[in-house]
Amino acid sequence: MYPFWELPFFTSGIVIALIATFHILPCHLATGAFWFNVYIERKSVKEGRPELMEFIKRYSLMILVFCFVIGSLTGVGIWFAATVASPRAISGLIHNYVWGWATEWVFFLIEIAAIYVYYYTLGRIDSKSHLMLGWLYAWAAWISMVIITGILAFMLSPGKWVETGGFFDGFFNETYWPQLFTRTALMFGIAGVYAVIVASTLEDRKVRDEIVRKAAVWGIAGMAAGALFSVWYLFRIPAPARELGLEGGLPYLRTMLKAAGASYLVVLLWFVLCGLIKPQWSGRATGIVILCILFLGIGAGEGFREGIRRPYIIAQYMYGNQIIGTDLAAKGIKSEVEKYDSQGFLKNLYFRPDKTDLENPGDRLLAGRVIALHQCGNCHALDIHAKMRPLPALLANLSPESPDDIAGFLEALGDYPYMPPFSGNDEDKAAAAEYLFWIVRR
Amino acid sequence: MDLSLFLNNMRDPAGVPFYPFLFQVLMVLTFAMHITMVNLVVGSTFVALLEAARKTDHSLKLAKALGRVITVSLSIAIVLGVAPLLFVQVIYDPFWYTANTMSAFYALMFLVLVTGGFYAAYGFYLGNRNSDASSFSSGWAWLALIFMLLAAVIIHMLSMEQLMPAQWKSWVITPEGSYLTDGGQFHGFSPGRFLHFILSSFAVTGVFMMLYTVYFRKRTDYDPAYLDYVARRGAGIAFAFSVVAAAAGFWWAGEIPAELGFLKNPFFVAGAVGGIALVAYLGMAHLNPEKYAAKAATAMFIVIFTMCAAREGLRMDYAAAAGYSIFDYKVNVDWPSTLLFLATFVMGLCVLCFPAMAAFRAGRAPAGEVVTIDEVHGRRAVTMLIIWFAVVAGLGIVISIKNGTLF
Ligand code: HEC
Repeated sequence: MYPFWELPFFTSGIVIALIATFHILPCHLATGAFWFNVYIERKSVKEGRPELMEFIKRYSLMILVFCFVIGSLTGVGIWFAATVASPRAISGLIHNYVWGWATEWVFFLIEIAAIYVYYYTLGRIDSKSHLMLGWLYAWAAWISMVIITGILAFMLSPGKWVETGGFFDGFFNETYWPQLFTRTALMFGIAGVYAVIVASTLEDRKVRDEIVRKAAVWGIAGMAAGALFSVWYLFRIPAPARELGLEGGLPYLRTMLKAAGASYLVVLLWFVLCGLIKPQWSGRATGIVILCILFLGIGAGEGFREGIRRPYIIAQYMYGNQIIGTDLAAKGIKSEVEKYDSQGFLKNLYFRPDKTDLENPGDRLLAGRVIALHQCGNCHALDIHAKMRPLPALLANLSPESPDDIAGFLEALGDYPYMPPFSGNDEDKAAAAEYLFWIVRR
Repeated sequence: MDLSLFLNNMRDPAGVPFYPFLFQVLMVLTFAMHITMVNLVVGSTFVALLEAARKTDHSLKLAKALGRVITVSLSIAIVLGVAPLLFVQVIYDPFWYTANTMSAFYALMFLVLVTGGFYAAYGFYLGNRNSDASSFSSGWAWLALIFMLLAAVIIHMLSMEQLMPAQWKSWVITPEGSYLTDGGQFHGFSPGRFLHFILSSFAVTGVFMMLYTVYFRKRTDYDPAYLDYVARRGAGIAFAFSVVAAAAGFWWAGEIPAELGFLKNPFFVAGAVGGIALVAYLGMAHLNPEKYAAKAATAMFIVIFTMCAAREGLRMDYAAAAGYSIFDYKVNVDWPSTLLFLATFVMGLCVLCFPAMAAFRAGRAPAGEVVTIDEVHGRRAVTMLIIWFAVVAGLGIVISIKNGTLF
């Protein structure tokens, strides 16, 4: 195990969730918005209407400065956050999907070249070639989604990969297509919101209303199709995930899904009312409010998708505490749970206090903390006032009378549908139980 | 447990999907491209500040031009950085992940600083687009420089920590036996190595300015006197800073433990000799910057690339001293995905020709002129992407049907 990084009160996972939420809106925008952009530009070129180009100019700059840059920075950000929070999980993904990411990176290169050249050559090269730059960006950006969706879907439903270890067997899995369709539809919805906001800054009333109306049509189509595809997605998620998320295994997940659905409806209504029917009602302020609602909705939706994966971080392969829980013969991988159960967990750690003769109570507490951090710390905070599933409080609810009670609880941990089993021998369990009892009593 | 056992146990159990050599080559190559861009960003910020302080017409115009260079090259640097970031995790995962988790706070601060640096650079660029000598302000550029230097310090530290595995445990476990989990470790700052990088940045920007003059010399709406000024400044900066950067390079060499025998590493020798030759060449280029600009830039990239290879050789020496070699990695060759990447990479280079050409030609036309490019180039580039998608989607459908994962 790597050294453990503890974020007091919140657990390190929160950092990933936070950065991811800030990533998803700009990156869906960066992939979706250019399709609308080239649609308008094409119209402008074909029908000879230069006044539409004013919108193109503003929209492109907004996409460049806010979506593309924030998208790429937060994308790297998720990566760093995952690295410090769950290094073995990101390592597991990379060692299976490095060529997927490397392929995506090629499209990043095309995207960045296309978007900058597009923006800086507006009005400087002939309109046909300029339009081609727009198409180039739109396709490259969407293809980057085609790639990353495979890796995201893999984390929930690894498909045939669990038998073959093959790249594409894991990539094109049960939830890949519905997720790709959902994201694709949603990116048009998000692009529509952004287009309405930018269009409402235009001075020319007529152009403004025209673009707002068109953006609303795109938005409505995207949101409606997105709703259908998400239902398809929900039908495709694996059974344990359905039990956790939809059937009340973890009630808060259902709440998140409802929140996502509600924000969906609000945005859809807004499109109909302030886009289609009364485009003059749309404005920057309301648009930004809607963007915030969308932001929360997406955050909830992605939170749901991440949450139903428990107890795993890579489904059927690695548990949330970064311990590999299965054999994968195709790659010569052995379950680590068995190894730790027989050999001991603490013994196999490099970063541990040297004096762990477990005779001395003080040393036992030190050792117990190290074990608890690695086994529980990815999902639970260990301090009493923590906000994120504080272990002292949760354990206190079970009213343990002695460390032995807690050891008994640890023994049965794997019976919870959302928690991995405790991996370690009796000595590890006793030390962890003693420490956990100590923090409950403190 | 001993260190070498730890390092070798922590390799990802999935192994690597191709022979480590390929990842290493790609890592060094993409790192060289990334670091050149980073050099350009840091150097341009610094030179923009120098020029802004001179407050002449030419110097302010140059400072504005560099303002745009900073923003564009910073985003390119970020995207280019993704590749070496990926590859280092493939072959040096035990080192990379340990350093990052021990110093998690700084790793996350790095992102905050880069983001701050980026928007500060945008503030400088957009804020001064229409300003003159009296309204020109450098505040944002100072801020950007500070952010970038701090980010550089952090990423340098993260690299250095990876070279000191024997000390890791003593950083994380206190003598009393407590386990430190605050992610606040900061070790190994190496002034010679850091300065060598920073000073090289200024030299890279100097050479970039020489290229800038060559490129814009064709533009009828550019004042030749301005271009003369840029060429002179660029060549001067390139020469002066390559001299001090070389000196810092020797300081760095002196910091490296002698028992690693790094000074005999062929890449280091080649880099050092090449570096000195480059200094001499830049001294000569000084006399006629535009004539030598392209050759100086090529030579400079070769030296940078060689130094990146030497840097990797140094890491191999350190890793070997700790009992780790990337060539011992378990290999589970996955041909389909390896071919997917290689084919996409080649295609990507072809596709990139189109935006590159469009930018090159548009940038050379005088303001107000519309350049016409044969439509076929753009169409070809877009078609390649569509074909890529069709092939992968077709493959996906076939595999999904075969595996029963489509419906
Ligand atoms: C993969 C993430 C994960 C790991 C690892 C994990 N837990 Fe949990 N745990 C959860 C979740 C999710 C809940 C449900 C919390 C809620 O309902 O809000 C939970 C709930 C609990 C509860 C309350 C149970 C109840 O019936 O009320 C206890 C006690 C607990 N965990 C202890 C532990 C201990 C001890 C460890 C380490 C040995 C551990 N957990 C490891 C995710 C995890």
